[in-house]
Amino acid sequence: MTSLSVVFDEVSKFYGEVLGVNRVSMNIPPGITSLVGPNGSGKTTLMNLMTGLIHADAGTILMRGISPRDPEKLMRITGYATQYDAAPRWATGFSFITTGLLLFGYSRSEAEQQAWKALEQVGLTDAAHRKVAAYSKGMRQRVRLAQAIAHDPEIILLDEPLNGLDPLVRAGTIELFRTWANRGRHVILSSHVLQEVDLISDQVILIANGMIVAEGKIRDVREEIQEHPSQFIVRCDDASRVASLLFDEDHVTEIRLNEDRLGLLVMTRDRERFSRSIGRIATNGHVIDSIIPADENVDALYEYLIGEGK
Amino acid sequence: MDRQRRVKQAWTIARIELRRAFFSRRAFWVYGLALFPAVIFFFYNLSIQIRRSSLQSGSLTTPALIDSIRIGERDEDILARLGKTKRDYRWQSNIRVRDKEEKSGITTHKIDPAYEARYVRLNIMVPTCSSDRTTRIYEFEVYGPDGATNLALHRPVTGSTPCSADEGPEKAVNGSVAGGIKDRWCSHEPRSYLQVDLGEPRPIGSIVIRHASAGGESAEFDTCRFSVQATNDNKIFATVVGATGTRLVEEITWHRNLVYFDGRREVRLSFTDGRLTAKNEKLLVDFEEDRKVFAGVFQFFYLRLAIFFGCLGIFMNLFRGEMLDKTLHFWFLAPARREVLLAGKYGAGLIASSVIFAFGTLACIAVLLSGHSSAEVQQYWQSAGSAHLFWYTAAAVLGCIGYGSVFVAAGLLLRNPIIPAAVLLAWESVNGFLPALLQKLSILYYLQSLCPVPAPVDGDMPALLRLLLAPAAPASKAGAVIGLLAVTAVVLWLAALAIRRIQISYSTEA
Repeated sequence: MTSLSVVFDEVSKFYGEVLGVNRVSMNIPPGITSLVGPNGSGKTTLMNLMTGLIHADAGTILMRGISPRDPEKLMRITGYATQYDAAPRWATGFSFITTGLLLFGYSRSEAEQQAWKALEQVGLTDAAHRKVAAYSKGMRQRVRLAQAIAHDPEIILLDEPLNGLDPLVRAGTIELFRTWANRGRHVILSSHVLQEVDLISDQVILIANGMIVAEGKIRDVREEIQEHPSQFIVRCDDASRVASLLFDEDHVTEIRLNEDRLGLLVMTRDRERFSRSIGRIATNGHVIDSIIPADENVDALYEYLIGEGK
Repeated sequence: MDRQRRVKQAWTIARIELRRAFFSRRAFWVYGLALFPAVIFFFYNLSIQIRRSSLQSGSLTTPALIDSIRIGERDEDILARLGKTKRDYRWQSNIRVRDKEEKSGITTHKIDPAYEARYVRLNIMVPTCSSDRTTRIYEFEVYGPDGATNLALHRPVTGSTPCSADEGPEKAVNGSVAGGIKDRWCSHEPRSYLQVDLGEPRPIGSIVIRHASAGGESAEFDTCRFSVQATNDNKIFATVVGATGTRLVEEITWHRNLVYFDGRREVRLSFTDGRLTAKNEKLLVDFEEDRKVFAGVFQFFYLRLAIFFGCLGIFMNLFRGEMLDKTLHFWFLAPARREVLLAGKYGAGLIASSVIFAFGTLACIAVLLSGHSSAEVQQYWQSAGSAHLFWYTAAAVLGCIGYGSVFVAAGLLLRNPIIPAAVLLAWESVNGFLPALLQKLSILYYLQSLCPVPAPVDGDMPALLRLLLAPAAPASKAGAVIGLLAVTAVVLWLAALAIRRIQISYSTEA
């Protein structure tokens, strides 16, 4: 498992006296993992540490068993679409990717073939021969993505990958992430747009002030937070009656009735007991149309864990 | 296998980077530096061609006739023998000299018949005949008809404001001229005057004035124009000595220069008052001289400045340029060791700088040779020409190897290129003063050792400059090549250590 994971062990990084990340330990399995945190929280620092663009002051990092100090091996299995929005002045989208691939030892024809494939995946074939400098922000984002995936890496790091993409391309890109993840690859992306990672991530790593504040599947993370009640929206015909029944349960801490009297927001300290209580109420003849978790998303976790940092 | 792959990777990087090394907008001025000597030699050749065509118009003088010219010959005789000259310049020089009849700085003015007066006044109209405007009178003497007694001696005297308190009018009647400049009356006032009161009306038979040179100053400061007046009532003055002055005359010397040309030599004959005083022969194109000039240009300009700053522009840009463009991370994200990246980039810089400066050297030599006859060039080629060409080119390429390594390392270690450039330039410049061991840590030391012709150091040069430019005791050629490569290897090893530690942090780079 370890050799197939991205492992951080007590990793710290300081920029002079400024903290980058502090004593970070984590184990990221294959799949889509989102690094989430506000600007300056340390997301890019973690990605740069993973790829050796910066070096840790303490601790060890292993990327599927390879140290970031060994770019010769690591970068064969890793692709990184950085946030740095620059490309060589001379480069067209096609030459930019082809040139990168030549360093992997591909022949020119192989490199060109791979480059076309990557450009096709990000939908940039039409603009392949235009200068990158003349691309729009979204196109530059996509060409960086294409460059990161062109050599078909096992670990794909994407720093704010959905920034500047139009909705259609965004959907396609997310689909691409899912495809790679399903093939057992690491797709590690950073974002401060919580809704987008909520939908696509297998797990999230919440970062604030250079420290990991939560790590795991979104639901597991949520359940780890005992002190914060879970929220459910219950849709039913007789909301007032259901509310009074639920009030008798000691795990329910708060209930708010909807204005239409057809729904209520329930806050509970115990999800399992809440589930059993709803079951009993339904068995007793009350029609329950739906039960929807109201806070099982990254936004809510973010709010709980980072609070003012959001 | 790994080594082969890394070499291939380095070559791939070098090929990609050649574009940056050759065509970076930040380093286009390097081409100007590389081709500057060739351009200068081109215009020098052009000026020689223009002069040759000018001298060759009309008939040439035979070498034998030119050799027959002797110092002391008259210009007309030479013209009659050699025929029409290419150039004939005439001019005169005038110098002001004292009239041979004049005593040194002392003028005597007879008044006949004697004139009776109590007050005698010296009026200065033009203080000196030079641009100086200060009146200097060491003694003003008034004699009776018998000329025996100086009636003005120690008499009350007035005059224009003196130059200083101890150069007042009384100094002009104290009977002495031997006390230096403090023994004179001096005044900066225009149209100054000096007036002596003889106490009672006395017959005046002569006036004697001792001017600047009588007191030991330059004759140039003797009074140029003055007059003397006398009066009894101090109201109505009679002029007893009309406007006069120390008598300086213009001495005229006639000069003439004639120029003859025999197809190779340009001979300039200088005549003074019609007699030949100097005969200067100069080869219109002097191959030997030109090669020395090239040696000087190559060592003092090309190695010390052009290749030095050219390598600064090319090699510093390889990493610094990427940091400024915020594109260095693309290289660090390639599956290549950092040392391989360094090797590739250094290789690209080396190829570009070597091509540019080797071409610059060859172009300069080609332009230099094009100004000479094919016979001279062929002879040069058969003797030392090919060896010179090889070693000059080798020095240029090795200069790129050495300076390139230093600047690629500096580009990794430092943000400001001016600092390493200034430090290295200072180090290279003072290297000649350093002990032998330290001299060997200089790139220039080895490069100068490779130059086939020693650079000319003019004896008229200031001693400090001569010391700075004088090459240190040279190493053998093999020693120079090995030494330079050893220094380069050490510097590149340091650069390799530096690149492994480099981290991407563009925000602090800009």
